[in-house]
Amino acid sequence: MSIDREIEMFLAFAWMLGHIIVLIVGVLLGVAYLTYAERKVLGAMQRRQGPMTVGPWGLLQPIADGVKLFSKETIIPSQANKIVFLLAPVILFALALVAWAVIPVDKDWVLANINVGILYLFAISSLGVYGIIMAGWASNSRYAFLGGLRSASQMVSYEVSMGLIIVCVILCTGSLNLQEIVLAPRPIWMQIWLFPMFIVFLISILAECNRAPFDLPEGESEITGGFMVEYSAMTFALFFLGEYANMILMSAMATTLFLGGWLPPFGMWFLDFVPGIVWFGLKTCAILFFFLWARATLPRFRYDQLMRLGWKIFLPLTLLWVVGTAGLLLAFDALP
Amino acid sequence: MILAAVFYLFAFILLLSGFLVITARNPVHSVLFLILAFFNAAGLFVLLGAEFIAMILVIVYVGAVAVLFLFVVMMLDIDFAHLRKGAMQYVPLGLLVGVILLTELVISVSAWQFNSLSQQNLAVPEIGLNAATNTQALGAVLYTQYVYAFQLAGLILLVAMIGAIVLTHRVRPGVRKQSIESQNARRPEEAMEILKVQSGAGIS
Amino acid sequence: MSEFGFLDFNLVPLLPEVFLALSAMGFLLIGVSFGDEARRVIPWYALLALLMTGVLVSQVSFDDAIVLGGMFKADAYSGFVKLLIIGGVMATLGLSMRYLEQEHIDQMEFYVLVLLASVGMMFMVSAVNLLSLYMALELQSLSLYVLAAFNRQSPRAAEAGVKYFALGGLASGMMLFGISLIYGFTGSLDFGTLTASMMVMQPVPFAVIFGLVFLLAGLAFKLSAAPFHMWTPDVYEGAPTAVTALFAMVPKLAALALLMRILFEPFAYLVPQWEQIIIFLAVMSMIVGAFGAIAQSNIKRLIAYSSIGHIGYALIGVAAASEGGINAVLLHMLIYMAMTAGTFAVIMAMRRGGRSVERIDDLAGLSRSQPILAYALGILMFSMAGVPPFAGFFGKLMIFQAAIGAELYALAIFGVVASVVAAYYYLRIVKVMFFDEAVLMLDLNVLSGPQRFILACSVAFVLFFILSPSAFIDSTQLAAAALFPGR
Repeated sequence: MSIDREIEMFLAFAWMLGHIIVLIVGVLLGVAYLTYAERKVLGAMQRRQGPMTVGPWGLLQPIADGVKLFSKETIIPSQANKIVFLLAPVILFALALVAWAVIPVDKDWVLANINVGILYLFAISSLGVYGIIMAGWASNSRYAFLGGLRSASQMVSYEVSMGLIIVCVILCTGSLNLQEIVLAPRPIWMQIWLFPMFIVFLISILAECNRAPFDLPEGESEITGGFMVEYSAMTFALFFLGEYANMILMSAMATTLFLGGWLPPFGMWFLDFVPGIVWFGLKTCAILFFFLWARATLPRFRYDQLMRLGWKIFLPLTLLWVVGTAGLLLAFDALP
Repeated sequence: MILAAVFYLFAFILLLSGFLVITARNPVHSVLFLILAFFNAAGLFVLLGAEFIAMILVIVYVGAVAVLFLFVVMMLDIDFAHLRKGAMQYVPLGLLVGVILLTELVISVSAWQFNSLSQQNLAVPEIGLNAATNTQALGAVLYTQYVYAFQLAGLILLVAMIGAIVLTHRVRPGVRKQSIESQNARRPEEAMEILKVQSGAGIS
Repeated sequence: MSEFGFLDFNLVPLLPEVFLALSAMGFLLIGVSFGDEARRVIPWYALLALLMTGVLVSQVSFDDAIVLGGMFKADAYSGFVKLLIIGGVMATLGLSMRYLEQEHIDQMEFYVLVLLASVGMMFMVSAVNLLSLYMALELQSLSLYVLAAFNRQSPRAAEAGVKYFALGGLASGMMLFGISLIYGFTGSLDFGTLTASMMVMQPVPFAVIFGLVFLLAGLAFKLSAAPFHMWTPDVYEGAPTAVTALFAMVPKLAALALLMRILFEPFAYLVPQWEQIIIFLAVMSMIVGAFGAIAQSNIKRLIAYSSIGHIGYALIGVAAASEGGINAVLLHMLIYMAMTAGTFAVIMAMRRGGRSVERIDDLAGLSRSQPILAYALGILMFSMAGVPPFAGFFGKLMIFQAAIGAELYALAIFGVVASVVAAYYYLRIVKVMFFDEAVLMLDLNVLSGPQRFILACSVAFVLFFILSPSAFIDSTQLAAAALFPGR
C-alpha cells in the first residue's frame, strides 16, 4: 500500500471522527439548552420567569446543573442487579446518539447515507425501551418495576402506529433513504393527505419519548419517578441526557419525514441561500416547542386511555391510511 | 481485512451470547443475551449486504418479540435452577438425539457437492435484481413469484391472532368500563342539581 | 402484469379456496360486530359457504392447471380430495352445532377456525412445491391446535391443546429439516423440478433420502401413524367431541393425500427407498391400533386407536405404489369418513343428566332405551370391523387386493390378522349395548335434526354401499389416475 493511500485513509478516518464529534457535541449542547428552554417555556406559560440567576438570563443554568449532577455520589441500591443497573442508562444514552448517524442535517451532510436509513432509525428508536425495562427490573424496586412495565407496553403499542405512518410516507417517496425521502417531490394533494398522519406521528412520538401527557412511566405523582426512582448523580444524568436526546432525535425524524428536512419551508426557493442546517434546526425546534407546549397544557392520561388511544384509534386509523395511500397512489398513477 | 475482523467480532459475540443464553442462571440475563445474539446476527447480515433483513431482524425480533419475552420473563417468578434439576435426567437422551442428528448432518454434508444440476435448479430470480437495492429486490420476488406463500403466511398469522384471542380473552361480568361516548353525552342539566339550602336546614 | 410475464397470475383454479378464506374472514367480521345475534346464524352461513365452495370445486378444481409460480396445482386428484374434505367439514359442522351449545362453547370463532383449517387442508392437497406445502400444513395445524384447546374451562382440553401444539411443532421442525436437506442437495423446492432431478441424479444422494425420511416422519405425525401416534389418544380424549370428530375425519385425509402426492410425484423414482418406510409405518400402526384399543374404556380414546389402525390399512395401499393402491386408499378414506361421522353422532348422544359421558360402559342397555341408536352404532361398528356386507369391508378388500397386486403378500396377511384382532373391540361395543344391564340410563332425545340427519346418512351409506359400489369407485379411480399421468 502506498503512503499516499494511507494518508488518504487516515484523512477520511479523521474527517469521519471529526464529523462524529461535531454531531455529538451538537446534540449534547442541544440537550443542555433544551432543558433550559423547557424551564423557560414552562415558566412563560405559567407567567413565571424561569431560571434567571446563573449567568445572563440564567443561560448558564444547564452547565451548573450538569456540574452538580456530575459531582454527586452515585448510589447503587444494595439489592440491585449491578451490571444491568449500570448498563441501562448507558444503553439509553448510547442509542439516542447512535441514531444520529443517518439523519441528514443538510444536503449531503450525513454521517452514513445508507439505503435503509428510515428502517435503521426505526430499529434504533424501538430499542430505547430496553434501557427503561432494564432499569426498572434491575432497580429491584416496585415503583421502578411498575414504571418499566408501563413504559414497555406503552412504547411497543405506539411503535406499531409509528411504523405504519412511516410506511405511508415511504409509499409516497419510494425510498428508504432519508435524503431521498427529503428530496422526493410532494404534490400539494399528497401533503394534505399526509397531514393527519403528521398529527398522529407527533402524538406518537410524545408517547414514544414518555413525555407529558403520556409520561406514565415516570409518573411522579403516582409512582414517584418510575424507572428512574433509584438512580442518582451520573446514572441519573445519563438517563436525563438520553431522554432529551431522544426527544431531539424524534423531532429530527418528524422533520425529515414530514417537514422536508433541510429544505426551506413551503418550497420558498428564494430562501435557498440560507444554509440548510438552519432550516433543519428551526423545524426541529418547532417540533420541540410542541413537546414543551403539550407538557404545559395537557394533564396526564390514565393508563387505559393511553392503551385505548394506541390500539383502538391510532392502529386502525393508520392501517386505513396505509391502504388509502396505496390506493390513491395507484389511482392517480403517482407511484414513485 | 477490516471486514474479516468485523465478521469475527460479530460471529464470536454471537456464538458467545448464544452459549450464555443457555447457561445463564438468571432468566432475565438469558433474554438479554438473546437480544445481544439477535443484534450480532443483524450485524452479520449487514456484512453480507442484506441490510433490509438486518434492519427487519432488529425491528421485529429485538424491538418487538424480545421485548414481550423480557416482559413475561421479568414478571414470572420461576426458579429455573429448580426446573433444570428435573430436566437433568433427560440429558443423556437429549445428548443421544443430538449426537445422532450431528452424525447425520456430518454424513450428509460430507457427501455434499454442488453439482451442476442443483446449480441449474436453484431458483434464480428472473428480474434484473443486481441493479436494484436489496429492498426492491426482495419486494420484486416476494409479491410476484412468492405471492402465494406470502398470502398463506398472512392467513397463518390471522389464525394465530384469532387463536390467541379465543384462548385468552374472557368477558368478565361486572367489570366497569369507561364509556367515552356516554361521558361526552352527559350535560350539566342532568348531572347537576342546584338547590337553595337554608342555613342550618341541611339536605335530606 | 407484463413485467412479470414468467408468472401465471391466473386465480381461477384457486377460486374455491379464496372464496372460503374470504367467507371465513367475513364471518369473523360479522361475528365481532354483531356478537350474540350472529352466533345463531353463522353456523348456517358457514355450511352455505362450504356448499358453495363445493360447487366451485366441482366447477374449476378438476381442470389441470399449475398456477402462481408453480405453487398450486389443480387436477382431478386434488379436486376429488377437496370435495371429500368439504363433505367431512360439513358433516362436522352439522354435528357440532348442538354439541357446542350444550357445552357452552358456541363461539363464532369455532366456525371461523374450522373454515380456515379447511382452507389450509385444501391448499395442502394442491401443493406442488415444498414451500407451499409447508405453509398450507402450518395453516391447517395452527387452526387445529387452537381448536383442540377450544374449551377453555376444561383443563383436559388445555392439556390436549398444549400436547398437540408441542408435538406438532416438533413434527414441523423435522419436516423443515428434511425439506432443507432436500433443497440443499437438489437446489429446488418445486415438485416438477424435483422429479426431473431425481430422474437424472443416479444414484440419488444419500442426504436426499435422509430428507425424505424426515419429511415422512413429520407427515406421519400429522397422520398419527405409529410410531408417531403418541399424541392421538390424549388429544382425542381431551378436545371437545366436535373437534375430535373433525380430527378423526378430515385432517388425516388431507395429510394422506399430501403424502401420496409427495411420494408419487417428486419421489416416484425412489419407490424402493420409501416403500420400506411406509411398510414399517403401516405395520406399526396396525399393531398399535389393534392392541392399543383393547384396554380402553373411554370411547373417544378407542376411536383414536381405531383411527391409527385405519391409517395403517391406508398405508398398505400407499405401499402398493400403484394406481389401484391409491384408488383403494381414497375409497377406504371415504368410507372411513362416512362411518366416523355416524359414530360421532352417537358419541354426542351420550349424555346423562345434561352432561356428556364418554365411557364405553355408559352405553350399556342402549338397545332397550334407544334401540334405533343402538342398531345404528351396531351397524357402524360391524362396518368398522370390516364385516361384509357393510361398506367398511370393501375399503379393506380393495386395499388388500392392491397389496396382493403389488406382491406384498406378508403385508396383506398381516392386515387381515390385524383387522381380526381389531374386530374384538368393535364387537365389544355391540356386546355392551345389547347384552349388558344398564345401571343408569342415558338421556333420551339428545340429538338435533342435523345430527340425526348425519347419522342416518352415515348408516344408509354403510348399509347400501354394496348396492352400487361402482358409483364411488369410478370417481376414486378417476382421481387416482390423475396422479399417474401417462403411466
